[in-house]
Amino acid sequence: MSIHSVTPSTLSPAEKQRAARLLDVVRRLNRNNAIASSLLWVVTMLVALVFLAIIVNIIWTGFPAFFASTFYTATTAGIAKELFNSFYILILSEIFLFPISLAAAIFLVEYTRQGPFVTVIHFAAETLAGVPSLVLGMFGFLVFSINLHMGVSRLAGALTMLCLNFPLALRLFEDALNNVPREQREGALALGATKWQSIWTVVLPSALPGIITGLILTAGKIIGEAAALLFTMGTNNPSEVFTLSPFIASDTLTTRLYYLTQQGINTSGLNAAGEAALDAGLAATLIVFLLLINILARYVGRLIQRKLTAA
Amino acid sequence: MQYSQQQSSQRGRLLNQLARAICFLCAILLIAVIVAVFIFIGAKAFRIFSEGGNLKTFFTVDNWDPTGVYDPTGNGTASYGAFGLILGSVVITLGSIIIVTPLALFTAVFFTEMAPKWLVTFLKPLIEIFTGVPSVVIGFLGLIIIVPALSRLVTPFQKQLGILGATGGFGWGAAILVLVIMVLPTVLSVSIDSLRAVPGSVREASLALGSTRWQMMYKAIIPAAASGLGTAVVLGMARAIGETLAVAMVLSGRNLPQKLLSLGALFQPNVNVTQQIAQNFGEAVGTVSEDAYWTLAFVLLVVSFIFICISRYLASRSVYK
Repeated sequence: MSIHSVTPSTLSPAEKQRAARLLDVVRRLNRNNAIASSLLWVVTMLVALVFLAIIVNIIWTGFPAFFASTFYTATTAGIAKELFNSFYILILSEIFLFPISLAAAIFLVEYTRQGPFVTVIHFAAETLAGVPSLVLGMFGFLVFSINLHMGVSRLAGALTMLCLNFPLALRLFEDALNNVPREQREGALALGATKWQSIWTVVLPSALPGIITGLILTAGKIIGEAAALLFTMGTNNPSEVFTLSPFIASDTLTTRLYYLTQQGINTSGLNAAGEAALDAGLAATLIVFLLLINILARYVGRLIQRKLTAA
Repeated sequence: MQYSQQQSSQRGRLLNQLARAICFLCAILLIAVIVAVFIFIGAKAFRIFSEGGNLKTFFTVDNWDPTGVYDPTGNGTASYGAFGLILGSVVITLGSIIIVTPLALFTAVFFTEMAPKWLVTFLKPLIEIFTGVPSVVIGFLGLIIIVPALSRLVTPFQKQLGILGATGGFGWGAAILVLVIMVLPTVLSVSIDSLRAVPGSVREASLALGSTRWQMMYKAIIPAAASGLGTAVVLGMARAIGETLAVAMVLSGRNLPQKLLSLGALFQPNVNVTQQIAQNFGEAVGTVSEDAYWTLAFVLLVVSFIFICISRYLASRSVYK
């Protein structure tokens, strides 16, 4: 854009000068805008690339281990025990976590009005969510393992998981319940239902997709947690792992990976190459589970919604 | 007929009362848990100060040796100087947040103001996945990639950096990088939420006044979302200071390095609070040294509580929610 194209020739020299200065400002602003925009593009692409590279790298490094004959066996070189323990602790934790946090969410959304009580609960939830999982692990060890005589056991681990994931589950379930339109509740109450009847027959079915998504997301947290389990569930397995007894110590995929990287190769009974392969395999397994859980959380909720609304 | 109807409605009311009571108990449980955390850990936190520990030396002396095995005199006298551990936690938290804040801010602004739709549908799941990545996995990544890379990078300059022993790439530098990966997704997603909360009218008003897109972003949107962005950063710090396994795996030290005030201190095996607890608490249980770790846990608990209070205060001040 030249000055002559926008300024008629009838302008005085002073006016022309002013127009030139204004155009300079515009040019500078446009240049700054272009620089900033490209900078933002570059930074974002860099961040995205690093994240993507991390996922690809972990899966790529662990990929060969998936095809090793020993990888799925219940030996030191395999992950069968850890896989079983991880899913055992997942289910045991959800048995505590799911009903308790759903009930708490129901109370907050359905039974009580916004007020000081809700504020206190939310403050408690935020504080608990901010407690480092290591500290909660120590708390769980003190209260469940020592004071309640559960010892270092799966039960103590699951109860610690309840404390750890309570705030997250509460928030997810509250969101799910809040997404149910008010008219549905009012309709149920107008038909003469009690509060509980309206919750059980109207609100919960409508909130089901959100509740399932919340359940799956907390499952991801439980599978990936390690620090809180170090002291409550231990890092060693008894000789008989494949039982449903909640009173035995056991490791999981995560604590096994931590234990292997911290202890020397001498203690694990594997050679260096074998241990490296097992480490990589464990990390890749965890990432694969994480991806699966995220995909599930995304699609299961939608699927249920479609089923419900079509029926 | 009427009688049975009355009976069933009575049963319904009873059920309602029961359900309400159970739900109330579950909500109260949450408060009980957090109060119990403070009481149980707080009750154990001050024991070492009656067992030879000293509040002043706890925070100022760098000699963490609660079992007394490293006592130079050989008498096995325990020493509770946690200065090094606390310094380690502070350094890696601040270091990582200094890197994370601009990255998260730029990415979040790009994400809400500029990104084409197809890019958002691709990036959003990526961020969500990364907020849930297990910390052990990131620690493992640090061990196989970040630590060797730093080792290769630093070894040629060992003399200039003032590194006395072998470096191996472990240390604060690696811990900071690991924390960046752990914390960035959290800060990013909270930042995106707070930028999204700024109403479109703010953008339109700014553009209508003739500002460029960039002016609109940094003169209108970012100030409007400032307290939300502050919340994001503080939450990131809370997460960073409590992060355990990933950090412990790449620190692997026992004490602060000898020359603390040099760049080389970033690349030598080092310590922080969570690493010491994770590595030694299990063995300390039942011995006298156990109490020292409860004090550390209490320090962590209080610090993260302060962070949460700050973030709540900032969030309460934000105009758009």
